[in-house]
Amino acid sequence: MVYKKYMIKLSKINKTFAQHQVLDDLELELKIGDRIALIGQNGAGKTTLIRTLLGQYVAEGQLSMFGLNPRQQRVEVLQKIGFVPQHSPPIQMSVGELVDFSASLSLNPMKEEVHALAGKLEFDIEAQAGKPFFKLSGGMKQKLLIALALSKRPEFLIMDEPAANLDPAGRKAFFDELSLLPQKTTMLLSSHRVDELLPFINRIIEMDCGRIVHDKQFAGEIKAGKSLACKIQITAEDEAISKIFDSWKFTNGSNPGLYSGKLAEVDLMRFFNEIAQFSNLIKEIKMEAE
Amino acid sequence: MSTLNLPLIGFQNSFITTVIAEIRESFRAKWFFLYTLIFGGAIVMLLALGITESQVLGFTGLSRLLITYIQLCVAILPIFILITTVRTVVGDRESNVLEYILSLPISLGAYYWGKLTARFIIVFIPVLLALSGAVVWGAVKNLSIPWSIVGYYSLMLASLAWAFLGTGMFISTLVRKQEWALGLAFLVWLTLLLFIDVILIGVLLQNQIMEEVIIGIALLNPLQVFRTGAILLFDPELSLLGPASYVILDNMGYTGFLFYSILYPLGLGWAFSWLGYKIFQTGDLV
Repeated sequence: MVYKKYMIKLSKINKTFAQHQVLDDLELELKIGDRIALIGQNGAGKTTLIRTLLGQYVAEGQLSMFGLNPRQQRVEVLQKIGFVPQHSPPIQMSVGELVDFSASLSLNPMKEEVHALAGKLEFDIEAQAGKPFFKLSGGMKQKLLIALALSKRPEFLIMDEPAANLDPAGRKAFFDELSLLPQKTTMLLSSHRVDELLPFINRIIEMDCGRIVHDKQFAGEIKAGKSLACKIQITAEDEAISKIFDSWKFTNGSNPGLYSGKLAEVDLMRFFNEIAQFSNLIKEIKMEAE
Repeated sequence: MSTLNLPLIGFQNSFITTVIAEIRESFRAKWFFLYTLIFGGAIVMLLALGITESQVLGFTGLSRLLITYIQLCVAILPIFILITTVRTVVGDRESNVLEYILSLPISLGAYYWGKLTARFIIVFIPVLLALSGAVVWGAVKNLSIPWSIVGYYSLMLASLAWAFLGTGMFISTLVRKQEWALGLAFLVWLTLLLFIDVILIGVLLQNQIMEEVIIGIALLNPLQVFRTGAILLFDPELSLLGPASYVILDNMGYTGFLFYSILYPLGLGWAFSWLGYKIFQTGDLV
């Protein structure tokens, strides 16, 4: 299917729980092939955004997924989405039943692929087929849910802290599988450890108080170990933000309010987190891979 | 295959998948074993106690057994169905199971009605097996088997089960906490139980309201409707009910009330389950 410009478009999305605004006039556009690290502190609205994209919340505003409405055309939309939740739910079905259940709902034949993918993640479905899902260890649950999500060959992959429960070998296998996904697969990866996602992402979105406070697109894939030339234009001088720039060895050139410096890509998130509180002072951020 | 048929086939597939998954889950659940034990065990216990050989108000044999079973069903079946059903949606929501299951391409209708259908099958099978067991035992013992009574009685039990399943699903979609769901289930059950006799007799005694109005209220209570319908099977004059029988039989007649006792709880179950579905479909899913 060809989408006019954006695969996913959210316009003026508002969501309120008991008079608490969780999504606040949120605007977001995702293109095919966007690979996004979604960051933000607890309560920033990340999970609410994900659930809204999955059509699980009713929100004010306009939401288009693949040109469809995820509430009214949920089956068509969800056929294209693979999802791994932050906390593996205590599903009562056995492992084999869960695989059958997911496979029977998918338009793509995926059963053999689930077995193969789970095997690569070092989870043997055959051996665990009769075991109730909720009795698996946290890591095993996560591996199975990842295998189920990837085997759908989704156009849009949403993962909420996907590697949180994985052991080092599982993490490596998971990231290997991510790197093998087709370039056109759009990803939204919510994680507190963005450093390990850097090789796979080309966009970073930071949320705070239900809004997107930073949205940085990179021209190419970011490679861990490389650095970025960074220029930040602020609207007014401020002692606190100047101290932060100093600590990162940024220099203030002839242009008033323009700070320049270099950032190792693995430090990017730490840097963003430090300057996030001054988002009202920041006019423009330019970054280029060196 | 025309494209117009695709959504329907998708729905059927999701619906059947949900029904099978829910039945499998229920077979593994402790509540199901307890439930089967109680309803199967009740028949075995009644047979073992020799209830078919006793005589009360002229009833003996299998009729006597079924009358006693009615009392058990009125007392236990609704609350059992309510407390196990009210946790269906709200329980899955609280444990985040719903977040994952509803991220899969399953229609809300297939999920909701699939769950409800599976629950009905699971709830009704032990009761039906218990009744079948009683019939088989009666045949072995050469007792006369009241086939029409067994048939009507099975339909009434199915209708009663559907009424409380619908109510349970409605409560399950209405509240956001399992504690609230369970509390509300008990409240509904107690209210209906009280309105069978205790409150109504009190009101009648005080003579505050017209007899017809009180009987009308009683006939809105699915428990009372089931009880009266079941009694009618064995006692066509409803002599056990006293003066209320005149109002009921004069207005509805024997056949009319039998139909009412099957169709009313069925309609009530549909109404509540449909309301529950609308709440589920239009609100936040998780």
